[in-house]
Amino acid sequence: MIKSLSLAKLLETAALLLIVFFIMLPIVWLALTSIKPQEKAYTTDIVFAPTLDNFRIIFSDTSVIINEGTQRERSEVGRDMFPSVINSVVVSGATILIAIPLATIAAYAFSRYLFLGNRALLIWILTTQFIPAIVVAIPFFTLFRSIEVFDRPLLGTQLGLIIVNMSIVLPYAIWMIKGFVDALPGEIEEAAYVDGCNDFQVLFFISLPLIRPGILVASVFAFIMSWNEFLFALIIGREMRTMQVALMTTSGARGIMWEQMAAAGLVVMLPIFFLAMFIRKNVVYGLTMGAVK
Amino acid sequence: MRKKRWVPWVLIGPALLVIVLTTIYPLLAALYYSFHKYNLRRTPQFAIQIGEGGISIDWSLLSLENYTRAFSDSRFINSLEVTFWFTVLSVGLSVVIGLFIAVIVQKGGWLHTLTKVLLIFPFAVSPALKGYSWRFMLNENYGVYDLLIDSLLVRPLNALLSLFNALPLVEIPLISESIVWLGDKFWALFMLAMSETWGWAPLIALMFVGALGSIDEQIFEAARIDGANRVQIFFRVTLPLLRPVILIVTMLKTIFSLKMFDQVVTMTGGGPVRATQTINYYIHQMGFVRSLDIGYASAMSYILVIVLTICAALYVALVLNRD
Repeated sequence: MIKSLSLAKLLETAALLLIVFFIMLPIVWLALTSIKPQEKAYTTDIVFAPTLDNFRIIFSDTSVIINEGTQRERSEVGRDMFPSVINSVVVSGATILIAIPLATIAAYAFSRYLFLGNRALLIWILTTQFIPAIVVAIPFFTLFRSIEVFDRPLLGTQLGLIIVNMSIVLPYAIWMIKGFVDALPGEIEEAAYVDGCNDFQVLFFISLPLIRPGILVASVFAFIMSWNEFLFALIIGREMRTMQVALMTTSGARGIMWEQMAAAGLVVMLPIFFLAMFIRKNVVYGLTMGAVK
Repeated sequence: MRKKRWVPWVLIGPALLVIVLTTIYPLLAALYYSFHKYNLRRTPQFAIQIGEGGISIDWSLLSLENYTRAFSDSRFINSLEVTFWFTVLSVGLSVVIGLFIAVIVQKGGWLHTLTKVLLIFPFAVSPALKGYSWRFMLNENYGVYDLLIDSLLVRPLNALLSLFNALPLVEIPLISESIVWLGDKFWALFMLAMSETWGWAPLIALMFVGALGSIDEQIFEAARIDGANRVQIFFRVTLPLLRPVILIVTMLKTIFSLKMFDQVVTMTGGGPVRATQTINYYIHQMGFVRSLDIGYASAMSYILVIVLTICAALYVALVLNRD
């Protein structure tokens, strides 16, 4: 009895280690490659003298020379990635700054008011997430080509990408925040109504402060979504490269420079790790829009 | 109740307006484009013209040509097949491995807890980066996956096979140690599905961990007292109880798999020889890269919309049934 029990334990530990290995290998390998010297990046060696050269290269124009030989050949490749970091931060930041306030008041209404079509509207909002992104991208591509803001077509601008990002961020944010409002007992609000507050006073002075943690979680979730978004960034964002698209610029005439790609990849994922850890308990709820808790 | 009737509409209005403009507008516009000859290289002729004399509709400019073209386009049919197999592989692997992970990590000591924390990590890696990193690691010359597969799977398996071949029975050919993973039609699609599984199985595991946690411990206790072993408990107790969640998660993952695009671009580029050209990738190629045929791209994406609408209806039915 005892013998079979310990065998089961051993198998379980082995399975756990296998799971950890399966999950961590790509992440650890990317991190290792990013600090490898160039001559070691194309080997599976794990002993090397770590260097920050790759980060220095992607944040300067020198990678053009490394990738292409001369600076003239293709100026698109291997440019300094710093503007792309800024683009990603601006686009994702502005996306949540617009989406979260709208989502918050909408979520509150969905949770606290009984009105005709409440449930049906909520489910309709959920189903908009099943529309393939490419269908959203096609008409906005043609539209943004012809709309000009400050004498520049919207296509390939931060504003254009922010607008299109709304289609993926807003529905998720509404569902997530609604979950937090639902979890809040209504008695405090009732008391405020009795004391003579009107609807908006209750919302802004009583409920909003109480759901602040939920709003923060939804903001982080929405930030991650738009930070990691690729299809819109490619089709609508275009030469205004976000970091996801800038990853492609590590590819030059000699193929992908993996040590540069790894360094850029680390820049892309490291901040998101911390954010993801912070909302760890809410990711499932967000991704499934409350269908799985 | 002091709540006023018009208040919810004021609160929902702005968000609703933005959602309608960013989802319903493109859906309608794409439908409209799909009935037109619309290539970005030429000035398009649209059926509905708004002029001084009001709105006029020229019906002769509308046609189903883009749709009929799709179903006689062998590359489009190929992309349907690729998407189908990618979906089957990635959904199957993600759900089964996710379930396996969930059952293992659900309760136990510190190693279980640590693994549970790590499950969130792949969520932080963007799909585009996931594609690049897998492509790098699968490289036949310096990829770490290639090294691991060869030394941990292929070589031991070949050693066994050689032993077997030493017997005067049938001769089984050895497995090649120099498979170019992304250069082989089957393996490229399989590895694309594996990269998707790497990202999703841990998240699906988290979903199941939550569902497992909400099952009354006494049910397992009763099964144990009745003498059931772990395997029996899993198949006879855990699995039936998880059935509603498994269905929902499977449907959700199916929808996400049908929409997959990013890794095809960064990992395989649709190759080798179109073996990993999913619908989304082919639409992108026809609409924005190889030709600029917006009409055709719209028609093809509408075929995808119809498939996804059916999935969405099933999903909503599953979720509502559960409540």
